[in-house]
Amino acid sequence: MALELTVLNTSLVQKQSVNEILKCNEVTVNFGLVLTEKQALALVETRLFALKENGRIEFSGGVINKIIYEFCNSFYLSMHNYEKALHELLEIFYYYKNETLDLISDDDLIKNMKTAFDGVCQGSFELLAGRELDKLARNLRYGYSLDHEDDMSTEEENDDG
Amino acid sequence: MGNIERIKRIKRAKLNGEYYFQSLLEQAYEIGMLSDAEIERIQLDCLSLLARQTELYNKGNSSSVRLETAQNILASIMFTIGVWLKTFPNSDDAVAEMQHSSMESLFQKGCRRIDQLMKSTKMLHSAILENLVYTENIFYSSTIVDGINGFFKLYNPFFSAQEIHITADYPVYNPTEKLAGIEFIQKYLECIYCENLFCSYFSEDDIHHLICGYDAHYKDLVINIYEPVLAAAIGCVLTETNIHRLDITPSSIKIINCLFERKAKHEITEILMEACNQLAQRMHLSNPLTQYIKCSLPQFAGSIKNAVHLQTLDKFFLVPAYPENNPKLIVSFGEKMDNEKYRKIVEEIMQCRYLSDKKAIIKREIHSLYDLEDVLLDAELSEEETISILRDLSLAEITALIKKHPLPSTLDRYELKQSEATLCRCLHELIALLPAEQQEMVKRAVAVGQCVICWE
Repeated sequence: MALELTVLNTSLVQKQSVNEILKCNEVTVNFGLVLTEKQALALVETRLFALKENGRIEFSGGVINKIIYEFCNSFYLSMHNYEKALHELLEIFYYYKNETLDLISDDDLIKNMKTAFDGVCQGSFELLAGRELDKLARNLRYGYSLDHEDDMSTEEENDDG
Repeated sequence: MGNIERIKRIKRAKLNGEYYFQSLLEQAYEIGMLSDAEIERIQLDCLSLLARQTELYNKGNSSSVRLETAQNILASIMFTIGVWLKTFPNSDDAVAEMQHSSMESLFQKGCRRIDQLMKSTKMLHSAILENLVYTENIFYSSTIVDGINGFFKLYNPFFSAQEIHITADYPVYNPTEKLAGIEFIQKYLECIYCENLFCSYFSEDDIHHLICGYDAHYKDLVINIYEPVLAAAIGCVLTETNIHRLDITPSSIKIINCLFERKAKHEITEILMEACNQLAQRMHLSNPLTQYIKCSLPQFAGSIKNAVHLQTLDKFFLVPAYPENNPKLIVSFGEKMDNEKYRKIVEEIMQCRYLSDKKAIIKREIHSLYDLEDVLLDAELSEEETISILRDLSLAEITALIKKHPLPSTLDRYELKQSEATLCRCLHELIALLPAEQQEMVKRAVAVGQCVICWE
């Protein structure tokens, strides 16, 4: 009789999420980005997978819409990589929600992801996930300011020199 | 016609005090009081409650939470609903309430009930703090004062109502049903209140000496104070001695032993019940306190039966002990001599060929136990020589050295220097050669002891 939290992953919830994602097309079409229903469904599945992988649970519509609205005007996204990028961003997002110990809000994390993605990472997901967000998570965990730079890189350069 | 009682379909005894809501759902579903559709509705209601509580928990900053957090919040919701459902004396009515009300309204009522419980428990705690039993036992105050204060600081009835946060190390005597959150703390404090109230009828000194009869170092033991006090009080009733002084003597224990010998547990309980009634009458105990004591008696009867069988009744009915009256051996090790002078003496001893010369130097030059101890360790003496020198010491001095060099455990032995190990061995060999009476004296002095008389 135990109440199973997985009961939330019902088809009804999925359908609702797909509809919400498709609604985003009204805005993203201005940037030449559109998702089909099949792609939206795949995104919902990725979200469920990422949540499960990271041991998290989500009750409201989720962050897919927020990520779409934030990233749709990025120079590095086009119709060719739009869907793949959203899958990557979703997985990165939930992974770093855990890594930051929930110390940062969804909106702030997405904004930081966008700034880094369009800025120093120049559209590279590897740099975003492997370096910039890792730095951000470390700063949050140690209580530093978000833009704090530790001098490890300088030390490494000195060692080489 | 006598009282007509409603037939209860759900047996309260089958329900779990800690997970009341879940066990009630299970029982109601098993006997068909709740249909599949109703169960589904209750589950969905709980999940929408969880979604709302999670949003509040995140303060709207995050749409997701860790699974453990969500599970904790869900457990809190179910506990809160359970707290409300427990207010129905008949569990069938609680099921009817679940059928006809939304989980949201049950949750709100549960929150209000927890709020009331918090207030009453805080008042109870204040009352307990005003009448604490003065005891050296560290677990008593660390749990009842610091632990409970810590609970009130950490308790969050909104998101983790089922948590206890503290470990409640000090045990209460009466067995309690398994509870969680504020319900556990309330029940725990109720027991403590009754036990303190009973102990308040006796002087703190008498209680202290009584528990010293169990172990003089009871301050570090996780023991219940009420149990030996009640046992002694009942023992006094049974042997017709002074209840107020908890005056149990070895002869009282013999009488009690005769009284309970070859008695079945229910017979022992009956005798104890009668003694309890007399106790209540003589000490003018209040009704709730008498009831609490009566609840302790079945457990008491079991312990007494075992104690009679094992001939350990003196461990249950304690005879007061007065450790402050025990003779103490106080030894001074004296002062160490100048290093240079000491080095010369040790060299001189090491150069001597005969033991008699070595002993003569020691007698002439060494005037403190500190220096003698150093010589025994540094002068590279053989075991025979060490024992021969130790033989010239008084029993008090040997005791002081044994206290300082106890026989090491197998593991510690590897950490000792060879000279230290030799000294330990010699000291214990020497003790083994003493008459049994002196051996016992040394053992007792070492157990109590600090260190001894003046050497010079």
